[in-house]
Amino acid sequence: MPLIKLQSSDGEVFQVDFDIAKASVTIKTMVEDLGLEDDDEEIVPLPNVNAGILKKVIQWATYHKDDPPPADDDEGREKRTDDISSWDADFLKVDQGTLFELILAANYLDIKGLLDVTCKTVANMIKGKTPEEIRKTFNIKNDFTAAEEDQVRKENEWCEEK
Amino acid sequence: MTSQGVVERASAELSKRINGLTLRAANKPSSSSSAGVSGTGTAGSSGTGSPSRTPRTGTSVMERVTNVLCGGGTGSVLGPSGSGGIQYPRFRGRMPIPRNRVAAYRIKRPVTWPELMRDEQFLNRFFTYFSAAERIPLTRVCVRWRDVLYRSPKFWYNVQPVIRCKQLRSYNYADKAAVFKSFVAREMTAVTIYGALDQDTVEFVNTYPFPNKNILSLCLQSSSVTDRGLESFLDHLQGIWRLELIGCNEITEAGLWACLTPRIISLTLSDCINVADDAVGAVAQMLPALNEFTLQAYHVTDAALGFFSSRQSSSLSVLRLQSCWELTNHGIVNIVHSLPNLTVLSLSGCSKITDDGIELIAENLPKLQILDLSWCPRVTDAALEYIACDLVGLEQLVLDRCIHITDIGIGYISTMICLQALFLRWCSQLRNFSIQHLCSMRHLRILSLAGCHLLTSSGLSSLIQMRHLEELELTNCVGASPELLEYLHEHLPSCLIVR
Repeated sequence: MPLIKLQSSDGEVFQVDFDIAKASVTIKTMVEDLGLEDDDEEIVPLPNVNAGILKKVIQWATYHKDDPPPADDDEGREKRTDDISSWDADFLKVDQGTLFELILAANYLDIKGLLDVTCKTVANMIKGKTPEEIRKTFNIKNDFTAAEEDQVRKENEWCEEK
Repeated sequence: MTSQGVVERASAELSKRINGLTLRAANKPSSSSSAGVSGTGTAGSSGTGSPSRTPRTGTSVMERVTNVLCGGGTGSVLGPSGSGGIQYPRFRGRMPIPRNRVAAYRIKRPVTWPELMRDEQFLNRFFTYFSAAERIPLTRVCVRWRDVLYRSPKFWYNVQPVIRCKQLRSYNYADKAAVFKSFVAREMTAVTIYGALDQDTVEFVNTYPFPNKNILSLCLQSSSVTDRGLESFLDHLQGIWRLELIGCNEITEAGLWACLTPRIISLTLSDCINVADDAVGAVAQMLPALNEFTLQAYHVTDAALGFFSSRQSSSLSVLRLQSCWELTNHGIVNIVHSLPNLTVLSLSGCSKITDDGIELIAENLPKLQILDLSWCPRVTDAALEYIACDLVGLEQLVLDRCIHITDIGIGYISTMICLQALFLRWCSQLRNFSIQHLCSMRHLRILSLAGCHLLTSSGLSSLIQMRHLEELELTNCVGASPELLEYLHEHLPSCLIVR
């Protein structure tokens, strides 16, 4: 079975079964675009993913390698967040920084299943929090002026779920 | 193409990229990290860059490109062919792939956390993990989040403005106009108004941007609007196709005759004290294209259900008669006679209906998909036999509080292969034997057994056979012990269990 070499931002090279690595649409597309299928010498650098995170990503992709391909989610549809499998839940019992790095890596590498489950975990983390608490959690700057903030509050205080 | 050609093209492409990078690096020295080899795609859109968290900023763009090209730095980037000194890559033997192409490959995705938190594509996905109610506070986090949320009407599809007039009166004109404008911008076309007087409706249509065009659905609730007020209000809302009047006690039947227009295809009249038989007459007469009619009125009689004309018989497909206490089986005769095309029928709380009425429904409304008989205490197992025999296309059946139903009735229902949702809340006679019947219903996706207190843990444990179940409600079930819930959750991982 063909192997592919992935190099983390801090220089560590991981040799991964291509069937596992192609869970990442980014890697899959890159390999196809560049015609690297038959070239097992090639090293694919991932300048934004450090070794610790890449290791976790590979661990996740290895465990889920036999999963059916993710369904095309219809964009607008609201997704459940309470259906995280127990393996994934255990896998994501990490500190907040690591969780954020994983979500960033899953998005960068375009691994739908991992992005899905990390998004769910993070969404659950901020549900019910105030805007200020969310900003703090995500390190987002409040760039509203006082007037804008008042305005957006007014625009939404009468909005209710149907 | 010859291999020479490939090489030439690759090196031309390469020098183009290096030139571009140099330029960018020279122009924006401070954000060199986001203009890196793989991050160039996002550099333009992420104006604020990432001053707070850039651990990988160590090398400049040119250095990194050089490293990649010539095997500097960590060396292993180039694999075996990487050797010291500045030189362009050489292609030896069968190596059609220039090494640098891998590095030059552009991935247009956010690279840092602050970039991700501003990335429209990511945010559009992330926000779908919230219900509409959970999503509303997210608009107040930052400008970017608000803009991304406001830009997509899909996030507001399930949201409607509920305007409380008492509070609205304290707003000045500019505030009101701005708020209404934001509703229009988010394409929220269904509006609920609480506690309105005639004067409020006048001010509303004077402030709302193009109410004729921008409001398609109106719910007027707990309001003291008069007949005349309603008529002139609706004159300004020529676009509406759905009207709901709930708890509007000033509205009389004469008012309905005056204000109903044929554009309305969905009407709800609920808890309006003056609504009785003549209101149904107005509806039947004035709304020939009516598709959906919900009526909750204690004093409506069987006669009213005879008013529907042949015009409605083809258009009306949803009829909900809720807590119409006076209705009897005679009313059912009128319904099946005049509205044979119903697909949804609710008789919730029409407590005088008996098994004979259900037999009429089963025999004469072959298109029914949803039937709600909750709070019809005279319904027994016999009715369920009629339903199971004749309503083969039924997808949803609600039997909440039908207290005379037993395991035998559930046995009849279990033969219905199209049924996807079954609600048996507080059917207090059901025993474990019912569950055995239910387990044979392989297509059932939603099941409620809330309040069925005779069901035991061991009986409920059989539910794991129902592999297609997506939602199971076990609220107030004595048998739903923590151990049982754990067991069900383990065996039905994709099923939402409401306890």
